[in-house]
Amino acid sequence: MSHAHSHHEPQPVGGKLFDPLMKVLVGLFAIGAAVIVYRLFAGVGPVSAMSDGYAWGIWEPVNVVVFTGIGAGAYSVGLLCYLLNQGKYHPLVRPAVLLGAIAYSLGGSSIIIALGRYWNSYWLFVPSLWNLGSVLLEVAVCVITYVSVLWIEVLPSVLDGAAQSSSSKWARIGKTWGPKLQKAMPFIIALAMVLPTMHQSSLGGLMLIAPTKVHPLWHTWALPTLGLISCLSMGFGAVVILTTILKYAWNAEADTRLFADLSKVNGGLLFLFSALRLVDIGVQGKFGHLLDGGHKPFFFVLEMVLFLVPAFMFFSPKVQKNRGKLFRAALMAVAAGALWRVDAYLTAFDAGTGWEYMPSLGETAVTVGMAAIGMAAFIVVCRLFPVVTIASRPHTSNLRATGTASGR
Amino acid sequence: MSITRRTLLKGVVVAGAATAVVGDAAAREPKESGQDSVGMLYDPTLCIGCRACVTKCKESNKLPFDRSADGIYDAPDDLNSTTKNIIKVAQLGGDKWSFMKRQCMHCVDPACVSACMMGALHREGEGTSDHPGEKKGTGVVLYDKSTCVGCRYCQIACPFNVPKFEWTKAFPLIVKCELCRHRGDEKKSGPLAIANPACCEACPREAVIYGKRTELLAIARKRQAASPEKYEAKIYGEKDGGGTQVLYLAPKGVTFQQLGLPAIGEESPAHFSEKVSHAPYLHGITPFALYGGAAALILRSRKKEAEAAQHGEGAHGEDK
Repeated sequence: MSHAHSHHEPQPVGGKLFDPLMKVLVGLFAIGAAVIVYRLFAGVGPVSAMSDGYAWGIWEPVNVVVFTGIGAGAYSVGLLCYLLNQGKYHPLVRPAVLLGAIAYSLGGSSIIIALGRYWNSYWLFVPSLWNLGSVLLEVAVCVITYVSVLWIEVLPSVLDGAAQSSSSKWARIGKTWGPKLQKAMPFIIALAMVLPTMHQSSLGGLMLIAPTKVHPLWHTWALPTLGLISCLSMGFGAVVILTTILKYAWNAEADTRLFADLSKVNGGLLFLFSALRLVDIGVQGKFGHLLDGGHKPFFFVLEMVLFLVPAFMFFSPKVQKNRGKLFRAALMAVAAGALWRVDAYLTAFDAGTGWEYMPSLGETAVTVGMAAIGMAAFIVVCRLFPVVTIASRPHTSNLRATGTASGR
Repeated sequence: MSITRRTLLKGVVVAGAATAVVGDAAAREPKESGQDSVGMLYDPTLCIGCRACVTKCKESNKLPFDRSADGIYDAPDDLNSTTKNIIKVAQLGGDKWSFMKRQCMHCVDPACVSACMMGALHREGEGTSDHPGEKKGTGVVLYDKSTCVGCRYCQIACPFNVPKFEWTKAFPLIVKCELCRHRGDEKKSGPLAIANPACCEACPREAVIYGKRTELLAIARKRQAASPEKYEAKIYGEKDGGGTQVLYLAPKGVTFQQLGLPAIGEESPAHFSEKVSHAPYLHGITPFALYGGAAALILRSRKKEAEAAQHGEGAHGEDK
């Protein structure tokens, strides 16, 4: 379907699985895994700096809220590609969907580790127990469903890979199930558009219930809407970053004009986020809180800079023609959304006098380990299955000489 | 191409605006305190800080001591996973101070209950699972560990920082005051048939008393009327945060914030959160409408693509 008139098909990158980078990533994960095992025996307290005041630490805001924001690349590119029929974005879809599937799976597994009574989570599959007033319930149910949908979206790559396999058994599976899945895909993709709309708003809205704890510059009725817009801008940013990295690592196809178009969309989203936020603060007369003491006004200003600088950059024709500058603007767009999310959950969250929080080494090791295993999984899948579209013309980057390119 | 990126952005703006407008239209009803709801009234002017209530609470709830460094005294400095009730000293500036009792407020519209995914924290008889023996209408906020996943969203949500978590246990629980619901005696009449808070039973000065919320409010007003020079006119919990079933009086010239209670509007955080987050769902229609719309658009694109492919290479122009 999608590649009916495309010149280039995605192909497995190939190459050595256990290269030095992979060893580092697996090593980092091993440290995190050790902390996780210890946590299972000793409880959450001994490995973390969490307390009754700061009950979520960094695992919820970073591992779940930021990771899934990055994973929203699958959602944002999907919106453009499928709903708006912008077929030119197709080469971006498979890497973005794989990124999404991995990021969301990591978010989900991080939550299981953070849950004190994780063994009870199977009750989430019993709808009669659901408290529909709970914003977190909506997030949990929606994310569980969406993780499955994302992996189904990854399946076409796997089945394509199987169809091209030299083993006749795998080839038969791929050739039988690939076309069948293609027929069902529109209904799966539609679900993949609706679910993130819901849970990314809810992720933004989790802090609606804490008006006395979240600083007034962050606490607003608009939290769900801001959450939704920020996931789109983080997602588009993440896709530009990912594709740029894939280009330099594996000579993946990366059309700068495509990036420029994508960037205009992202610039619009960043402006929209900033405008909604500033107007809302103005209407509610909360700008006076910029004079509040402490670190919060600083973080507010830092956020606004991180949102507005890439917004202007994305609309500048000079930037649009320059891959490096686009890359930097995309990095800032992701950082902006990530910072807003961490701030709303943590930096701008004040549990009251006497409560302090600074992430512990153990918590950080788990977060880093999760990110590392995510990167490792991405690399492994790309090496084995047709996810990345490799450019036909050899390009001149000397990075290609590192031996990571295909052809082994 | 009939749909452009601009349409997408417009869509986001409209969705945002709709959230705002519909947010007010489809407001969730605020929860009211019923005639049978029970609670406590704490009067700091009567409290002598003997902490008999703290000890009796631990005995009645079988909670271990939170020992001081020398291992002799039970000396918790705040509510924690072994302390459901505590007497604190509130510094009022200068050499002035006041005693202050803290425990679960048993909110009329509790944030923890709104936050709790599967009704582990619930108002008595109003949970999502069946709890035999629970009576609806008492408003006591109870904990059922069997559906608690330990997500701690209740701790994030509670404006009073009441629910506590067993941080150093492999199989932890959420710990909070349940108004000694287990000490209620069906054979007795009135509120004692529902619950019997050990702290109120132990208090030698009636600084904390147990009863129906309506009666406690009347008693508080009577005390204020009898000695207006002694009390602030406000009763904390009458309306704060949507109302609480544990009520507080304040000594004259002392604010409730000085006593450690948060300044919170009359709307409960639960009401605000549910109102805003439910609004865009339009009673559940939105997800289905979005799904149908998305599926239709994708099918249409696919059809167009198939047609374009049939017409050969010329179809490439469509993308640009």
